[in-house]
Amino acid sequence: MIDQVCLSDALLEGAKEVFGTMIFMDIEESSEPDQQIEGDALLGSITFMGDLEGCMAICCGDSCAKTIAANMLGMEPDDQISRDDINDAIGEVTNMVMGSVKARLNGTVGNLNVSIPTVVRGQKIENSLGDPENKVSVKVNIEDEYAAEFLLLYREGSG
Amino acid sequence: MAKSLMIVDDSATMRKIIMRTVRMSGLKFERTEEAGNGAEALQKLGGSPVDIILCDVNMPEMMGTELVKKVRELDSCANTKIVMVSTESSKELIDGVMADGANGFINKPFTPEKFQEKLSPLID
Repeated sequence: MIDQVCLSDALLEGAKEVFGTMIFMDIEESSEPDQQIEGDALLGSITFMGDLEGCMAICCGDSCAKTIAANMLGMEPDDQISRDDINDAIGEVTNMVMGSVKARLNGTVGNLNVSIPTVVRGQKIENSLGDPENKVSVKVNIEDEYAAEFLLLYREGSG
Repeated sequence: MAKSLMIVDDSATMRKIIMRTVRMSGLKFERTEEAGNGAEALQKLGGSPVDIILCDVNMPEMMGTELVKKVRELDSCANTKIVMVSTESSKELIDGVMADGANGFINKPFTPEKFQEKLSPLID
């Protein structure tokens, strides 16, 4: 079974690649493991199947999501951006981070089949799913301004 | 000669991002079209073929892989170049879609330089 350090590294590096290339924002791993996302938040998630199966998710606050969408679309954060566009942008980020993680894991776990991403909005979205032995959580700071979390829930798949 | 481009992706946001990245790459297209899936793309191509199609792989109604096969059956699109744009990057998928008639593959995430590199040889 793949180890958690390998998954954690793939998740962080995959996220950095996507944010650096397409969103033009810097990501650093947080030094505060207990950091919380306050207020309205968005959770983008995507499932995968193969020799490893599970779910990857991104959770960030509403203002962070709006800035991500604005940067992706070449708009200013103060510009009017619809909720649909923000949700769509977070879905695409989820999809691209999963693609990037998948490419990094390809030599270790083989090919993974990935679903279409879904995005939900809510308050106090907590990471309460999954057993700690089968879960990787990477808490990050985006541009030293926003807190966000990348998650992988996984188990050995049937191939 | 004026060139035309169609972007096929089920995400309206991604279509806008691709359009913006194409512009940033310095490539110029006289006419641009958009479609949300393969079926819509085929309908639009029937009336007005384009020079280049940038196409996602995973889409509802008709997948990008299916669209490639359908476009290659159209006499009016005999000169149309198809470049897939996807997070899916397995060798099996790329080999399959290239064998079916695609002309290139760009991985997401992408840069303007990548579009320049992959599209320039197809439109010169």
